[in-house]
Formats: sequence, structure tokens, C-alpha cells
Amino acid sequence: MLQQDSSDFTKEIVEFCRFARANGFSAGITETVDSLQAAAAVASAGGETFKSAMRAELCSSKEEWDVFDRLFEEFWGGSARDSSNRSDGAERTLQPKSRSQKMESARAAIFATGEPSARPADEEGSAIAGASALERIRKMDFSEVPTGDQAVLERLAERLLKQMTRRLSRRLKIAESSGPVDLRRTIHRNIGRGGEPIDLRFKGKNLQQVQIVILLDVSGSMNLYSMFLLKFAHSLQKHFKRAGTFIFSTEVHDVTGALRTRKLADAFGSLSKIATGWSGGTKIGESLREFNRFHAKKTMSRDTFVIILSDGWDTGEPEVLAAELRALKRRASKVVWLNPLLGLRDYQPISRGMAAALPHVDVFAPGHSLESLLELERHLMRGAAR
Amino acid sequence: MPASPTLPENNQVNNVYDLIRGFERLGYITDRALATAVYLVLKLRKPLLIEGHAGLGKTEVAKVLAAMLGTRLIRLQCYEGLDVSSAVYEWNYQKQLLAIKIQERTEQTVEEKEKHIFGREFLLERPLLQSILAEDASPVLLIDEIDRADEAFEAFLLELLSDFQITVPEMGTITAKHVPFVILTSNRTRDLSDALKRRCLYHWIDYPSLEKEMKIVRTRLPGVAETLGSQAVKFVQAVRQMNISKPPGVAETLDWVEALQTLGKNQIDAEAAEETLGCISKSAEDAARIKAEGIEKILSETA
Repeated sequence: MLQQDSSDFTKEIVEFCRFARANGFSAGITETVDSLQAAAAVASAGGETFKSAMRAELCSSKEEWDVFDRLFEEFWGGSARDSSNRSDGAERTLQPKSRSQKMESARAAIFATGEPSARPADEEGSAIAGASALERIRKMDFSEVPTGDQAVLERLAERLLKQMTRRLSRRLKIAESSGPVDLRRTIHRNIGRGGEPIDLRFKGKNLQQVQIVILLDVSGSMNLYSMFLLKFAHSLQKHFKRAGTFIFSTEVHDVTGALRTRKLADAFGSLSKIATGWSGGTKIGESLREFNRFHAKKTMSRDTFVIILSDGWDTGEPEVLAAELRALKRRASKVVWLNPLLGLRDYQPISRGMAAALPHVDVFAPGHSLESLLELERHLMRGAAR
Repeated sequence: MPASPTLPENNQVNNVYDLIRGFERLGYITDRALATAVYLVLKLRKPLLIEGHAGLGKTEVAKVLAAMLGTRLIRLQCYEGLDVSSAVYEWNYQKQLLAIKIQERTEQTVEEKEKHIFGREFLLERPLLQSILAEDASPVLLIDEIDRADEAFEAFLLELLSDFQITVPEMGTITAKHVPFVILTSNRTRDLSDALKRRCLYHWIDYPSLEKEMKIVRTRLPGVAETLGSQAVKFVQAVRQMNISKPPGVAETLDWVEALQTLGKNQIDAEAAEETLGCISKSAEDAARIKAEGIEKILSETA
């Protein structure tokens, strides 16, 4: 099948595939063999065509497409068919993308408090005992929970959130509606009645869980809450098949993948590597714009519930926030904004950002305590019944 | 193993240049990268996944390819909830029920009756089955906007693309006589599975360069005044650089030029541009942003 001018050239291509693999391309044996065939198919054409063929063969996403040129130049040194002194190709790898490795102290602090404590609660000298105390801790503002009770709260949160999300994910699945008669299932159903279609089956909507997207503010003003809200996000994501979580302060980061671990503690390792403005300033409007432009298309569909967890302290322009929230609302079936500050007795949503945001939000509710987070179930169910 | 794809005798494509010329004859201006990818589809029989923004001619590639090869184009438009019965096959239940009633008084055995109602005449062929049943030559199978279909469907497709055979329980397995040339398009509204991406050749369609877009306008709309065409292309290219939610594609450029031509314009002035802005900006926010930038200003800068 392969007709090469020289076996050297075959070797070159194999080495190029290895080089691509070393740089993160999925260039396995199948791809290598296919690349050789592709090269043979365009053997008579020029270097540019050869490059195009390699690119079509080895790339599988826009990101790879964009770096391919650089990779190709690096390996073949500009002239595609020049095979002299290239035998060292496989040894070379591109430098990994330079990423800021420095850890902000605040970010480190968040994760320090976040590691679930390994010690049992009673060793810590817990102030809490009995059912009434548990009831109290449910209602307690996250920022006021004494250090000794953290572990109790964590366990309680884990249990209750698990219950809630499980219930929620099941109930949102059953919301069924009927459509035209489904003949295939009707016939099958009525076999026992001699094939007479008595009991009709309908083509219901393809039952599918609603999708949720969580946007979590991790700026400085949210420091006291970020940890618990992250836990909340993790718990939701565990039970919804279609869920995405993004953290934002001045920019947006997709942490869906990082949170997709069974134990939250495992997620912290990868989360702490994400360079973002942990505990920095907040530009909610700009962050939402970034989300709308780059992430919304991929993560959202018409039946998406968006849950924004933020205190609404925005250093950007309120007009931007309002416009982007409106755009977000258009894509989503429901936007729920949970604000920890609403737990404060005399808080009024009059900060400029919050005031601009309110008209575009379906539900505006507190998110400062475990109980207020558990209320989410009610908010979401009301949406599903619609 | 399924048989290899076959082409009608007189439509052989021998190299990438044949393909570029063939596409150009049909009014599709392409570059070497895309032509090479399509050429490899023909030679290696691998599916091609084309990604890119809307309005850049992803779907058109399959149409032009089918026209150039002189074979059938079979199109499957994907959407959320697409299932096997609308993508592959479905029995014609109404007809089957009638047939059962008609046969009730006949002397046929149960087996004969069953064989009858599960015959080909009761089978509704949907696009994927059609593409496998092609009798004379390999058709072009266009699977449009695959990113809209569910992941379950994607998995099914993966199976089809590796074996090119479909099993209908009542009839048995049908294997393709002529393996179709498969083109998949995606708008990247979600990531496709790695397995599917690995099986496909890949091409990313970007916005065309100024020269290429001018050439496209000239080819597709031959009667248009040169100044009008070049002004419109430059304007659209400038708009794409702006921070708007839906940058106009080539399709929008062509629409716009055609609209202006219909209005009897030989060149674009600010007034005409504003009246026809709807051709290139498809949301109120985008239109407002273009106006805020100053249509006059963009026109003078791109003159």
C-alpha cells in the first residue's frame, strides 16, 4: 500500500508522530499508520500539501490545529521534505506552556481551611451535641461557625446536600409530557392483548435531567464563603450528569473537570493550580461576558439552570453586568442568584452591581448557611413545573 | 469487510489540484489545506470532521463534493433528541397494521405473514440506512451539526463509521456495498468525544483572508460592481475584528452584497449600510455596537 521514495522518509514521519505525541497530540499507532498512508496519498504533491495532510490526520481540535504549524516548523525546520539531520527529532519536546507557579497566600489559605479535617470532631472539643444543636448549625452563617464545629458542619453538609441533590436529580427527570402516539412501543405493550392497540404509548419528550451551570464568585469579599460554596458545587455536580462549574473573580475558569472527583479533597490539588484572582477584586460583568463568549455555547442548552453564587460586590460597570446577565438569561431556562450577604439582617441589595442585576434574575435568595443552600431544591422545582 | 468506495468512471480525482479546480468550477473557492483534507477523504476513506464558525461553508463542502463526484448527497441534520428511528430506520407501522388486517382471512402460515410484514416495502429508510444501501456508487453522507446530537447518538455513529453496517433485528445485518464518503460538521457548541475525533480527519475553517473572500464574492456573484464588492468585504472584515457576539460569516457577506445590489447600489454609503445592516449583524446588540463604532468611520478607514 505504501510506496515511499525511501524508507528514511517513513522513519521521519514515524518520528514526527512520536514528536507530536510528546507534545500532547493523540498520535498513537493507528494515527501513525494513517499518517503514512496520507503521506503516500499526497506523495507527488508539494511540501504545503504534505503539511496539510499531516495536519488533517493528526489534529482533532481547534487548539491542536492552532499549534500544529509551530510543531511542524519545529520538527521539519521549514522545508517539509528536507530530511537531513533530523534524526534527533524524537528527543526534542516543546517546553510546556509557562504558567505562573506562584501561589497567592490568600488562595493557599482558602485551601488550607478547605481540607476536610481528618480528626474526629470530638477530639476538637466540639461545642455542638444533639439534635437541636444540629438544627442550629444548619442555620448558622458559614462565616460564624466556630473552628471546632467545622467538621460537624462539613459532615452534615455532605449528608444533606447529598440527599437534596439526589432527590432533585431524580425529580427533575420525571417531568414528562406526552406527544404523538409511539407505535413501536404501543404494539409491544399490547402484545398481550393480541396486538389490538388498546393501551396507547406516547412519544414523550426524551426524558433528560436538566442541566445546571454554577458560577461561583471567589473574590476577596467572598473569602468566608467560597469554601462551602465550592463544596456545594461539588455536591451538585456529583449528582447531575450534565453540570458545569466555573469560578470567577476578574476572569473565568472552568473547574468542572477539577471537581469531577469523588472526594473533594482530591479536587483541591488541581484547583489550587489554577491561577486566578483568588481573593482578588471582582469584575462580575466582565467575567459574565467572558463566560457568555467562550463557555456558554459549549456548556448551556435551553433547559439549563444557572446558579450564580456571589455577593454582588462589583468593581466593574453595572451596565455591563446588566447586559451580560440579560444575555445569559436568554440562553438559560432559569437564573438563580444566591447571595450570602442576604443572610445579614439589615442587608439591602443596593450595591450598584446588585441593583443592576436584580431585574434579570428569576430567583434572588440568601446563600449564607446550609439551610439556605438546601432551599435551592424548592427554587429549582418551581422552575421544572413551569 | 465492507467494500471500498467507488466512483463513477469519469469523475476520478487524481491529485489535490484536480480537487481545487473541481471545487472552483462549482463556485467553491477553497485553499490547499481543505482540499488536501477532502482529497484524503477520497483516498483513505476516513470521515472528515469540519469545525468552524457559522456561515463559512462547512455544509457546502459536502454538497460541492457530491456535485463534483456526480454522486448522491445524503444529509442528516442533527438535533437534540435525534434517535435511531429518525436517523437510521423505522418500520411503517400503519402499513404493517393494515397488512395484518388484510392477511387475516388468507391461508398463509404465520411465518409467511411475518416475513411479509417485515419486508423491505415496510421499511422506512432514514439517512444513515440510505447511505449504506446505495446501489451504484459511494454517496456523500453529510452529518450536519453533530454537536447538537446527544452523546448516545454520537456513540452509535462511531459504531456505524467503523463497520458501515446496520443491523435491523427483523431482517439481519446490512453491509454497505459502497462505503459512503462521510463529512461531519460541528459548530463547537460542545466538545465531541475523543473516540469520534480520533476516527476522523480534522479541518478547522477560519474566516477567509481578504483576497480569498474577494475571490469568493467575485465567483459567487459575478455581476457585482468591483467597488461594491471590495467595500463590502473590507467592511465585514473590519466588523469581524470588533467585539461582537456573532461575527458575520462569508454567507452574510454574500447576502449583504446581494442586498445592496438589489437596491441598485454601485458602492456603499453610510445610509445604505445602515439600512442593510441586518444582513451582517443578526442581533440588536451587535447592530448597536457597529453603529456606536461609527459606520461612516469604518467605511472611511477601509476605503
